[in-house]
Amino acid sequence: MSILIIADVKNRTINPSTLEMLSAAKKIAKNNTMPIYILIPFGNIGGDSYCSSEFKTFILDLNIEQYSAHVLVKYISSVIREVNASYIIGMHTPFSIDYIPALSVSINAQCITQIHSLDVAERITVTRGSHAGKLDHHIVINDTPIILTVLPGSFEPYTITDVQTQHITTIHIPEVNKHIYCNFITKDMKDTSLDEADVIVGAGKGIGSRENLSLIYEFAKVFPHSAVAGSRIVCDYGWLPYSKQIGITGKSIAPKVYIACAISGSSQHVAGIKGAKTIIAINKDPCAPIFNVSHYAVVADIFEFIPQFIDFVQNNA
Amino acid sequence: MENKFRILVCVKQVPDANALVYLNDGIPEYDEKTVYVINRYDEYALEEALQLKDCGLTSYIHAVSVGPHRVQKALRRSLEMGVDEAFCIQSDDDRLHNPYVIAQAITQFAQQNYDIIFTGVMSEDAMNQQTGQLIAAMLGYKHATGVTELSLNNTTITITRELDAQESQMYELPIPCVISVQSSIHKPRYPSLSNVLRARKQEIAIIKHDLITSTGKTKSYFTMPQKTTQCQFIEGSISQKVTELYTILHKNAVL
Ligand SMILES: Cc1cc2nc3c(=O)[nH]c(=O)nc-3n(C[C@H](O)[C@H](O)[C@H](O)COP(=O)(O)OP(=O)(O)OC[C@H]3O[C@@H](n4cnc5c(N)ncnc54)[C@H](O)[C@@H]3O)c2cc1C
Repeated sequence: MSILIIADVKNRTINPSTLEMLSAAKKIAKNNTMPIYILIPFGNIGGDSYCSSEFKTFILDLNIEQYSAHVLVKYISSVIREVNASYIIGMHTPFSIDYIPALSVSINAQCITQIHSLDVAERITVTRGSHAGKLDHHIVINDTPIILTVLPGSFEPYTITDVQTQHITTIHIPEVNKHIYCNFITKDMKDTSLDEADVIVGAGKGIGSRENLSLIYEFAKVFPHSAVAGSRIVCDYGWLPYSKQIGITGKSIAPKVYIACAISGSSQHVAGIKGAKTIIAINKDPCAPIFNVSHYAVVADIFEFIPQFIDFVQNNA
Repeated sequence: MENKFRILVCVKQVPDANALVYLNDGIPEYDEKTVYVINRYDEYALEEALQLKDCGLTSYIHAVSVGPHRVQKALRRSLEMGVDEAFCIQSDDDRLHNPYVIAQAITQFAQQNYDIIFTGVMSEDAMNQQTGQLIAAMLGYKHATGVTELSLNNTTITITRELDAQESQMYELPIPCVISVQSSIHKPRYPSLSNVLRARKQEIAIIKHDLITSTGKTKSYFTMPQKTTQCQFIEGSISQKVTELYTILHKNAVL
């Protein structure tokens, strides 16, 4: 019995959120002598510091450009068997979700995705959001091995204190499996408005049309250093460019204030707003999941509330 | 290009965005008035497949859905959008199933008949994001998820999969393969009148199937979500809410 953590990748280097999985693993291992292993799927992503006397680290002898879900599944499955892992933990990001569920078939274990918390009692219960965040789904784990993917930002990052590289084992991959296979395309992010703004006003699908964005722009103008952003749907509809999308497949923001307007608050959106100091949500649905992560809630129709707010500021400035 | 491809699109039917979900003994339920629609991401999967058909690259496109009788409406809509034939893997058990069980049912159906299998990247209700990867693993095919662009070559397909605002991956997959489509700028089409008329006459093939619900392994239940912040609801009339929010923003030194 052991725990295997599969490191995540962001911008072709190891994603520091990998340390959050270590905290989740420590929680599972509590009162238990279960050893923890870390698997770094590529040799050239700067994973060498993710090792210590506390746990053993495996690095696959592959380059990130040799990414192939198929090859990873094959070699990670054999590591899982070798260390007799009961809990296999990956990150719920677009990078890792591509291959981690496929391990399920090769090791014959269930995969539970998008976990945001876990409770360790006699049995372990994991909790994930479902139904666009309107419900929490709790799963009591009765049988292992089990594969879990954890949502970024759900656990405190663990601090590795004594980096000791002698605890690293490199896993040889035969040349036949090492094709330069994958191109990474990096977009030029000239648009830094979301990084610099004090206040970001987010537009959701509830704005209804591209024309109604003008209301959001007027609202943002009320604040001295502000910017307008949106949910993915708003960008899919072409109302805003993808460079303005906030969330797990968009940008992460950290303004003083984020005001979510007619945004429901899906976990994918929320993953990008955790850095905001204050979150305010305006939504006509009193049960909108965005309120679960907000500091202030305004239950109102944006078409009523925002014009009145703009008037008020103009008359009081 | 000489090759024409045999395509399957996996379509899930989900309650629409306005549906009110309530809990009955820890199980999500909906009332009879609930309107069911095609899962948003599966509409994008249908669109990608239909664009290949528009370019004359397909020999046929099939749609398959697993679920109770009502899912035929989603299949009818797929036919209206332009799919050639539709198959319902019918199970009367209307609960949410483990994605493994669904993937097994689809894999059994899809054995060897398809060059490309499309799924949406996620279903809006269960939000598992696994079905495509599982089908691929079960069939021994290669796969890619989060795909926003694709182009066909003779025996391979070049895909772009999105990682975040800044980065995506681009690579070739050998055919046969499974592709999980992410929502994108490629807006799913509205059915044309001629397709609606054609679809009306088409039969949906029904395959009876008992979904084996995984028992023993895991027990699961649903609750309302827990709040992660202490959220203060601003009360009162609209104008009171306006004043109050102004005061809060002023205190936060942004106004
Ligand atoms: C792999 C993957 C990655 C994703 N990545 C992202 C991401 O990075 N960012 C992202 O945002 N999404 C992402 N999504 C999509 C996400 O799951 C949601 O679909 C999306 O965030 C919902 O956008 P929304 O809140 O604008 O729309 P909806 O969920 O439709 O919500 C609209 C809200 O507006 C409210 N509303 C409607 N009218 C009004 C009104 N007049 N006044 C006030 N309120 C009103 C409604 O009550 C509702 O709460 C991703 C999905 C997947 C599968």
